Amino acid sequence: MGLILPARPSLALFDRRFFTGKEKFTAIGGGDIGGKAQGLALMRDILESRLVERFRPQIEINIPTLTVITTDLFDVFMEQNGLYDLALSSFRDDLIAGAFQKADLPAQLVGDLRALITQVQTPLAVRSSSRLEDAMFEPFASVYATKMIPNNQMSPDSRFKKLVEAVKFIYASTFFKDAKNYIRATKHTTADEKMAVIIQEVVGVRHGHRFYPHISGVARSYNFYPLGHAKPSDGIIDLALGLGKAIVDDGIAWSYSPAYPRANPPYNTLADLLTQTQSEFWAINMGWPAEFNPIKETEYMMKFNLGDAEKDGVLQFLASTYRAQDDKIVYGVAEKGPRVIDFAPILKFDLLPLNAMLQELLKLCEDTLGRTVEIEFALTLDERRGTPARFGFLQVRPMVVSSALVTISEEELTGENVLLASQSALGNGVLDNILDIVYVKPEKFNVHYSEAIASELEKLNHWLVTFDSPYLLIGLGRWGTSDPQAGIPVNFGQICGAKVIIESALPETSSMLSQGSHFFHNITSFRVFYFSVGAEDPYPIDWGWISRQPVIQETDYVRHVRLSSPLKIKVDGTTSRGVIHHD
Amino acid sequence: MGKEIFNSFVTAQFQFDRTAEWLGLDLPTRELLRSPLKEHQFLIPLRMDDGSVRIFRGFRVLHNDARGPGKGGVRFHPDETIDTIRALAMWMTWKCALLDIPLGGSSGGVACDPHYLTLREQEQLCRSWVKRLIHELGPQIDVPAPDIMTGAEHMLWMLDEYESLRGEKVPGFITGKPVGMGGSVGRIEATGFGLVFILREALKELGMPADGATASVQGFGNVAQHAVRLFEQMGGRVVCVSCWDQKDAVSYAYKKEPKIEVKALAEITDRFGGIDKDKAARLGYEVLPGEAWLSQDVDILIPAAVENQITEENVPTIRPRVRVIAEGANGPTTVGADRTIGERGILVIPDILANAGGVTCSYFEQVQSNMNYYWEKDEVLGKLDVKMTTAFNDVLEFAKRKKLAMRNAAFAIAVARVAQACKDRRWV
Repeated sequence: MGLILPARPSLALFDRRFFTGKEKFTAIGGGDIGGKAQGLALMRDILESRLVERFRPQIEINIPTLTVITTDLFDVFMEQNGLYDLALSSFRDDLIAGAFQKADLPAQLVGDLRALITQVQTPLAVRSSSRLEDAMFEPFASVYATKMIPNNQMSPDSRFKKLVEAVKFIYASTFFKDAKNYIRATKHTTADEKMAVIIQEVVGVRHGHRFYPHISGVARSYNFYPLGHAKPSDGIIDLALGLGKAIVDDGIAWSYSPAYPRANPPYNTLADLLTQTQSEFWAINMGWPAEFNPIKETEYMMKFNLGDAEKDGVLQFLASTYRAQDDKIVYGVAEKGPRVIDFAPILKFDLLPLNAMLQELLKLCEDTLGRTVEIEFALTLDERRGTPARFGFLQVRPMVVSSALVTISEEELTGENVLLASQSALGNGVLDNILDIVYVKPEKFNVHYSEAIASELEKLNHWLVTFDSPYLLIGLGRWGTSDPQAGIPVNFGQICGAKVIIESALPETSSMLSQGSHFFHNITSFRVFYFSVGAEDPYPIDWGWISRQPVIQETDYVRHVRLSSPLKIKVDGTTSRGVIHHD
Repeated sequence: MGKEIFNSFVTAQFQFDRTAEWLGLDLPTRELLRSPLKEHQFLIPLRMDDGSVRIFRGFRVLHNDARGPGKGGVRFHPDETIDTIRALAMWMTWKCALLDIPLGGSSGGVACDPHYLTLREQEQLCRSWVKRLIHELGPQIDVPAPDIMTGAEHMLWMLDEYESLRGEKVPGFITGKPVGMGGSVGRIEATGFGLVFILREALKELGMPADGATASVQGFGNVAQHAVRLFEQMGGRVVCVSCWDQKDAVSYAYKKEPKIEVKALAEITDRFGGIDKDKAARLGYEVLPGEAWLSQDVDILIPAAVENQITEENVPTIRPRVRVIAEGANGPTTVGADRTIGERGILVIPDILANAGGVTCSYFEQVQSNMNYYWEKDEVLGKLDVKMTTAFNDVLEFAKRKKLAMRNAAFAIAVARVAQACKDRRWV
């Protein structure tokens, strides 16, 4: 069963002094604080007693100041504005978000928000913390919205307005289509969901009209794709320059095993390394937004390129340089040339004991939650010397790792009735109830149409989820990528009915999975089997057999077939072998 | 209710004298502030719908405008007297000063009973009242607002008359207008919500969670209904409300455990706050004599009806469990009763603080009307909460520091501010 947490950890009530009050972790309201906030509350005292002193003064560890609007105020908001009918309807997300913007926040909440905003003029993250997030088999990673606001307007009225808009947007995201589909894939219903909202200081530094942390990161205590000598239990860490959106949504990060922090990720060539590592970063835009749009999650977020970060003087502790004349990476940014965000000064030269601290933190979180975990954090460095650094602990969430015993022999991977097999399959266990296959037609696939393909998949997914039909999904290129040229840019909600996903690599690209993203967190936590099939792999997809199956639905790029008898699908998590047999 | 001979103005002057003494105000300042600056009394002949003519008495009193234009309600009540109006104007001066709103205090009304007037007759009364006072009212002079038995439609008639006579649009002339016609969102809820914002702070001070606290309320008009609604949203329970029954000409208390249902009860309540007794009984409410609201075994009492309700005679019926009295009405507690309550250690949130949400939001409305730019409800209520909470904390801190009762502390802060404004203007 999931982790048992107290219904409401003992939190001080918000006393209208956000930064100057004695308590840095407070609540507005008397209801639940939601899963995300519960995780943080659980770790608060443990961090203080077990970790903080160990790494002082090089790293100052804390949970950034926050207050949580509890779920009882969400209930009041929904009921007093009569929003449930609309929210539970199939209206478009923008219509739902628009209606929520027109509604009024509870009277007992607005005074606290007004008081908060009057004294705070630095950026704030307004984050979801839903009640179902504490149901630990359903991670709800990136399902609901987070809104960053610069909160730097001169007028408190303007700052208040933007904060209110952000809170309403988070409330509305409870009822967005992807969230509804996601919940449908769990044992819950959207009507069960209650949203708490975290208002939290953003860890970062302002450079002109950009505000961002020097490093954002996601660390997991279990690695589904261990490489080289690394073991699954060593875990994996993703680091990125700027806001964590680069990791969780774009899937672009410096991934490494904490057991081998000096090892580079498995890129084939240095050219690969240059193209696959971060070339842009996310920051909060402290200037005018491109458009005023309260129902857009990234209203105040912008991507900048590495040149901007270099101008800001923040790359010296984060980057290396590619030297073209001898095709080498040289550490640091003393020479001219393309920069590679590889965090070498920290990971290779121990400028900061970040890796050691993260290892201890992962262990501490695992021990506390009693299972494998994923954490998110942000870090700022002293801009002259690198240390001391400020480490903001942002989130802890359990991971689900199956322990069922499945073995697959070498012989099982081949044979007449093998639909496909893979030596790099994700998950563990056996499935024998899949009758439906949805696949991107290989003959029609073109990366230029990947967004259209995502949209067609979403419609088919909705149909299959409605009829409670789990399905096998086959596509080309990366799933869940934000780059339409690299694969199909779906989010998990758009394909959440798939119980098995096949990624058939595009011939001209690296077959590395974007496992750093929330997309893959959801896949693993929902126990979706994930097969990666390379273009040159010995166990290719039997397209001929698939094409002979009866077609149920067909769109421009996608086909849905139904089998007369179920597939037998097996994944051995210890060897990463997977195989799918048909009759 | 009660047999004490009660005169609101005597009470108001007593409160002022006591405060002036404590502050050590000089004689001219005392003389200036213990009486209104201006008073108007006039007769309004009104042709009734049946063709007859009746004469009504109208009032407008400006107590003090040293801190800004006058601000005060217009009430239609059969028992209206010049002394009640004087007292209300004075309390409004203190209220605005306590909330640090740049307005003075005034009050007005017509001695009439709207229960027995048609809407057309009420409209004519409103228009005549404005005609008589055309040179005494205005956004820079004195700004009326609704009070007992007047509402948004009355304010709109008054505005229309004023604008007709002036030949221009002056939305800042009056507050409490309908939303969409120059009114502010949040104005209707403001007094009741403001009271609960303050009550919430008082409970924090006493270390009592609002969740689970119980209350009994006198009155079920606009103020009481919104106060009950927000109090219940915060987890509190209201077990009893009382109101005047026009038909029986007595008041009744309506009790239900574990709590009253505000929405259902509001549906059987007329626009003057009178609950239909028979329907309430059918809904399962225990119908008790009106005074029973005061003797309930609850944590909080909220008098939110009219003046002079908690008296020396009935104060002993207040149960030992009561920790807080939040005065939603103006002057609900007589001086004698106030003394007894203080001796019992009950925390009294005085009227000039507890019900100041109305005038605070009226001020917001006037600001919006003068700009002809209207805020969203979140903004109105957010500002209201901060203003009310700040005022409460000021009073609490002052009371603790000076070892005063909350009422005395509130009066001391307010009177000192007005006295200072008079001095700054070299009036005294």
